[in-house]
Amino acid sequence: MLRKASLFPEEMLEHVLSFITSDKDRNAVSLVCKSWYEIERWCRKRIFVGNCYAVRPEMVIRRFPELRSVELKGKPHFADFDLVPDGWGGCVYPWIAALATAYPLLEEIKLKRMVVSDESLEVIAKSFKNFKVLVLSSCEGFSTDGLAAVAANCRNLRGLDLRESEVDDPSGQWLSRFPGSFTSLASLNISCLGAEVSFSALERLVGRCPDLKTLRLNHAVPLDKLANLLRGAPQLVELGTGAYSAELQPDVFSNLAGAFSGCKELRSLSGFWNVFPGYLPAVYPVCSGLTSLNLRDANIQGADLINLVSQCRSLQRLWVLDYIEDSGLKALAACCKDLTELRVFPSDPYGAEPNVSLTERGLVSVSEGCPKLQSVLYFCRQMTNAALVTIAKNSPRMTCFRLCIIEPRAPDYQTLQPLDLGFGAIVENYMDLRRLSLSGLLTDRVFEYIGTYAKKLEMLSVAFAGDSDLGLHHVLSGCEKLCKLEIRDCPFGDNALLANAAKLETMRSLWMSSCSVSFRACKLLGQKMPRLNVEVIDERGPPDLRPENCPVEKLYIYRTIAGPRFDMPGFVWTMDGDSV
Amino acid sequence: MELQLGLRSLPTYNFIENFDLNNDGFEPRDQMLGSKPWISCEDGNNMDYKRSSEVAFGKNTRYASRELPLLLWSGQPNDEDDWNGEKKISCSINKNGEEENRVEGWPPINSWRRKVLHHDQDQARHVMNSSRMAAAGNYQNGDGSNSKYVKVKMEGVAITRKIDLRLYNSYQTLTKSLTSMFAKCQNLGNDAARYSLTYQDKDGDWLVAGDVPWQSFMESVQRLKIVRNAG
Repeated sequence: MLRKASLFPEEMLEHVLSFITSDKDRNAVSLVCKSWYEIERWCRKRIFVGNCYAVRPEMVIRRFPELRSVELKGKPHFADFDLVPDGWGGCVYPWIAALATAYPLLEEIKLKRMVVSDESLEVIAKSFKNFKVLVLSSCEGFSTDGLAAVAANCRNLRGLDLRESEVDDPSGQWLSRFPGSFTSLASLNISCLGAEVSFSALERLVGRCPDLKTLRLNHAVPLDKLANLLRGAPQLVELGTGAYSAELQPDVFSNLAGAFSGCKELRSLSGFWNVFPGYLPAVYPVCSGLTSLNLRDANIQGADLINLVSQCRSLQRLWVLDYIEDSGLKALAACCKDLTELRVFPSDPYGAEPNVSLTERGLVSVSEGCPKLQSVLYFCRQMTNAALVTIAKNSPRMTCFRLCIIEPRAPDYQTLQPLDLGFGAIVENYMDLRRLSLSGLLTDRVFEYIGTYAKKLEMLSVAFAGDSDLGLHHVLSGCEKLCKLEIRDCPFGDNALLANAAKLETMRSLWMSSCSVSFRACKLLGQKMPRLNVEVIDERGPPDLRPENCPVEKLYIYRTIAGPRFDMPGFVWTMDGDSV
Repeated sequence: MELQLGLRSLPTYNFIENFDLNNDGFEPRDQMLGSKPWISCEDGNNMDYKRSSEVAFGKNTRYASRELPLLLWSGQPNDEDDWNGEKKISCSINKNGEEENRVEGWPPINSWRRKVLHHDQDQARHVMNSSRMAAAGNYQNGDGSNSKYVKVKMEGVAITRKIDLRLYNSYQTLTKSLTSMFAKCQNLGNDAARYSLTYQDKDGDWLVAGDVPWQSFMESVQRLKIVRNAG
């Protein structure tokens, strides 16, 4: 039998492997035996690097010589909330330079939370003749000059997606750099751009790309121009409008409604900045087919909002502001039975008083009415254990549950008890829970529940919770699949961290800020665990100028085979063997 | 390195059944809305952490009965002494002193979105206004900005709302919208006739809405209040 296995032709194995695309499966294949490792690495086409500092580009290139798609993530997630100081790192240029030399046939680059310079974009534009897809998600550091280089040089570009990135010195002229002969665009997302883009260039571009399926405009594109764009692209599947207001004029309205009616394939809507409610009915013709509706930036309230959402009976994903209120969520639960994802964002997150009537009841309604609910992000100002227990029982398919009670350490407002039992029910009932964010008043007990029940949990976000190191210990010792843990403002210190040091090598990363981990513990970890980078981030100055048992400001620990990085700014120190 | 915590068995949830909201017989207490926080982190002081560390390390903690042999990696004993005195446990470090007592990075809203859309940011307003100028076409607002958010309070209702007056061009459209906004939660229906709309003008005086032309009203209104008619 062994002989037969060794005669198994490589080409056949490669052919079989071409059907295996998931990273986990590919990794498993590579562990079977040496020859499978070799065959697999030569035919791997896509790679995902969850932490750009976990590996050096040369290592990736050496192992996988034939990549066509590279996806990288840079800064830790809490960078989204300004907790990672500017200049921390995540600069993509070294990767781009290495990829440019190694992979002339590279087709896709996807980056998240990375610093991307115009120079990097120019290298991308000029190095890859068959470049097809560029996704810059929550990136920064580039301007429209870099985009112009991409537009001018990437003749086969299919996708350009700038979701949530910060783009400097925006000017709309870069769109004109797409040559007149360029027709391959299938996806364009410029919703994050601040200034106007050249509308005529946009219109011409949209009109000449017959494969354009996704178009997300920025708020500078006025409503009265939207109809023209839609008529030029009736094949659109995903649309993000620009500003959605204008003086109400019957001919503008009917023109717009007519244009929407012509988009028979439309399944996803977003945008809606600055809504003038009188124009909302123009989208009604497409509502019944919508599976995704993103009103996260839409200042629609009351009946206007409920009427719109109630039209969308096929909805699977809804992102909305808390203007929807409990009454709107009840209506949603009644008519959108296929709902799998709900995100409710706060319209006035910094206000001391609630400005809308959105409470725990809204989420309870949705959990009751929408049996397929899998993913929830919910900002609210009050919660009870009872509500959480109910929600836990109603939605067994939940894989991602993120609750943000706006006031830190808010208790069950009825019983004034911690919300330990409520979240305990959540983790006990959600057998497939992969992501969880906690909030409200929580003791070590909730972490005991999490460590006991959340066996499939991969990502946990914790803020203002817990009493002692025991809390952290429960999580690190109990959550077998834990990959990312991010903690802020919790009284977790050295003990749990040091007792579970080995666990940290099985995770992608751990972030702790405003906790109680001492500099001494950081040094110890760094010294004893060579495969971890232990980064102390402290803007107060060098940690060795303070007593060793003084807690560090911020701590970022991640596993790596690349060793310590050398691009750290002055407020970041890596604890390796030398620094102790 | 065995860690024995001797976890107590976790409680069952039977006593929670009484509160099962599936029966929808649950009345929230309105007066709890906006209630004071249990522990406020915004004071920016160290009280919370000192207290919790005392609870954790030896002073009548409810975990005292179970074993707590968290072994340090290097085999050194727990340095419980460190928790008293010298250790400065910092609360969230709020660098933006000028922002009103905000906890940094909380609530967890994407900072990019905050910068672009937050009304207090001058740059954002400039960007938004230039786009609104383009979008709004013929809108004319005397003060040059294209949005006018004012607070609307209704007598007897706990929630103060905010609306953008720019969306309306007459008292009729305004009152119609306000009626639907508030009537829905108050079950007013026909009772709408028993309420009046008042506003506070630039001088701080409260006036009945409707006496001055719409444009003048728009220029001077600072906030709105819906009051019950006397008698």
